[in-house]
Amino acid sequence: MEDALPAFVLHSEAAISAPMNDPPPIPGDPGAPSDRSSSLGSEETDEQLMQAYAGGRSAAFTALFARYRQPLFGFFRRRVPDPARAEELAQETFLAVLRAASRYQPTALFRTWLYAIAFKILRAHRRQAAFRATFLGAPREMPDPAAPGSLDNEVLVRHAVAKLDALDREVLLLREFEQLSYAEIAALLALPLNTVRSRLFRARLALHTLLAAPHTAASKEAL
Amino acid sequence: MIAPAHPVAPEDLMALLDGELAPQEAQAVSAHLNHCPECAQLALEFRSVSESLKSWTVPDAPPALEETVLAQAAQTVQSSHPQSPGAWSLLRWTMSGRGAVAAALILLAVSSAIFFHGGPSARKQRLTSFVNPGDDPRSIDGQLAASRKSREEIAEPRGVDSLVALAPGVAGVAKDSNGQFYDQPAPPPPSPAIAQGLIAGSAARRQDRSRSVADANDSQATAAIPAAAPMIARTVALSIVVKDFPAARAALDAILARHQGYSAQLTVNTEQNVQRGLQDSLRIPAPQLAAALAELKSLGRVETETQSGEEVTQQHADLVARLQNSRETEQRLRDILAQRTGKIEDVLQVEEEIARVRGEIEQMEADRQTLEHRVDFATVDLHIAEEYKEQFATPSTSASTQIRNAFVSGMRGAAATLLGILLFLEEAGPVILIWLAILALPAVLLWRRYRRLRTSI
Repeated sequence: MEDALPAFVLHSEAAISAPMNDPPPIPGDPGAPSDRSSSLGSEETDEQLMQAYAGGRSAAFTALFARYRQPLFGFFRRRVPDPARAEELAQETFLAVLRAASRYQPTALFRTWLYAIAFKILRAHRRQAAFRATFLGAPREMPDPAAPGSLDNEVLVRHAVAKLDALDREVLLLREFEQLSYAEIAALLALPLNTVRSRLFRARLALHTLLAAPHTAASKEAL
Repeated sequence: MIAPAHPVAPEDLMALLDGELAPQEAQAVSAHLNHCPECAQLALEFRSVSESLKSWTVPDAPPALEETVLAQAAQTVQSSHPQSPGAWSLLRWTMSGRGAVAAALILLAVSSAIFFHGGPSARKQRLTSFVNPGDDPRSIDGQLAASRKSREEIAEPRGVDSLVALAPGVAGVAKDSNGQFYDQPAPPPPSPAIAQGLIAGSAARRQDRSRSVADANDSQATAAIPAAAPMIARTVALSIVVKDFPAARAALDAILARHQGYSAQLTVNTEQNVQRGLQDSLRIPAPQLAAALAELKSLGRVETETQSGEEVTQQHADLVARLQNSRETEQRLRDILAQRTGKIEDVLQVEEEIARVRGEIEQMEADRQTLEHRVDFATVDLHIAEEYKEQFATPSTSASTQIRNAFVSGMRGAAATLLGILLFLEEAGPVILIWLAILALPAVLLWRRYRRLRTSI
């Protein structure tokens, strides 16, 4: 029974490396993947690294950055249509982390803290962009440079996700790509835990329906 | 998808797959999953969704990101005191649009405040400095002394030329009071004695001069007039604070008696519980002015003192000359009447003319006397106030009355404010409503658009 379980678990913390090129480690997880064993902080948790950096060890941040560079870039890349803007926002987030390093308290997981900062920056960006668009007109649809080389399936997924309700989409993305727990998502979005659960459930069902039924229509729309 | 009476909620199934269930629950749900095809189907769906999402990959982060961030990290660690967060956020706030808007609003408020209050207050300040020369007694006294001095010099018989130089002296701009004003070698300037001494001297001379004018007038010697001494009508305003008001009052009367002065108008205020004081317009013979002023000042502490002198020499000389002409005319007319004979009509006409000239003469005579009186008697506007001492014994308003009064005035103020608001709404309300109606639609449309874009971007 216990052995059968992992086969159904979508993203047990041990199996998260697939969607993310460089996944965050689990605090206290003894089994660190071998490809990261060479990096400086492989034995140290994120929180220890952050405190080491605040204490003046510059290499600690390099290790942290190596862990989170790709996930954080992905976070913005999936949410902001303009790739250059996504890069800027990721950079802004890391710089905010650097500025706040001296005030960092290891009361929460570094991961949660990092995504909270990123989410704030994302929201500020959305407000700004929406304000500009309100008066200057809607932004141009950004042709995604990743699209030409990517599979047709990816385009379908992106379009299906785009059709979800905004909050449902956010919960789904945070769960599927950022690997946040329900509680973390609830804290980040200032929602009750049950709401997170029900919205995630709704989003998954809706996405399944969108992906299963109108294959032809969606692909036409994508083109 | 799921039967309504299903023992396990589908959300719990999802939570199990996400590893979010507590161990006991997880066991129960997974046990159910093993023999429930519907739930197995649902689990497959979830799994397929996750698998599909995996296809949404993201290209590698550009290397520029790494360079920038790591460079900044090294820099921040080196400088033990990174930029203070307060200053940073303030800077960012200022740079952002909100900061600019706030700055513009503040600027607008400040500039409008300056526009509405700066002008009048500045004007008022200028006015006070003009009206109240006592603000800077030193400079005013200096100017007065200077103008007095120059007038003294003019008073020395120096011929008609000196009259030309009179104008600057009167205007009080003759800063150069040491006699370098004139081409002719001036007699040694009056010693820098105190102003009072000068006034006394000038008054004495003036007395002689006016007598000589009168003599000249009598003897019809016109040539004597331009050489007359300057005639100055003096006005002094004095404000004194005394300790003992009744004593000061008595002393004032004594001073007046001693110097043959009189008070033209006297107002005394001795109301209870307020500062006692008197306002007196004194007339003091010009020669006695200095002595009388000194005595008046000794009554108490001088708060303000202003002295001014009006030069009336020219006016007086004109008056005397015209008077003389009229007298001559009258004499000629009398001669005509005495020597010639003619028709009654002509005689009457001459009589009439004589009467007219006589009237003129009397009018001018009266003017001359008034003028001379003003010169002979200096005017002193005296204000004496008592140093007020608050008295315990005075029956003051009781506390309950004060509370009641405060309450009443407070209620009145509140009522007035409410009424004011009501009046404002009545007056401006319709216009505001019209503008709201005009602006509401675009505002709502923009807000909706903003909301929509915020979720979609």
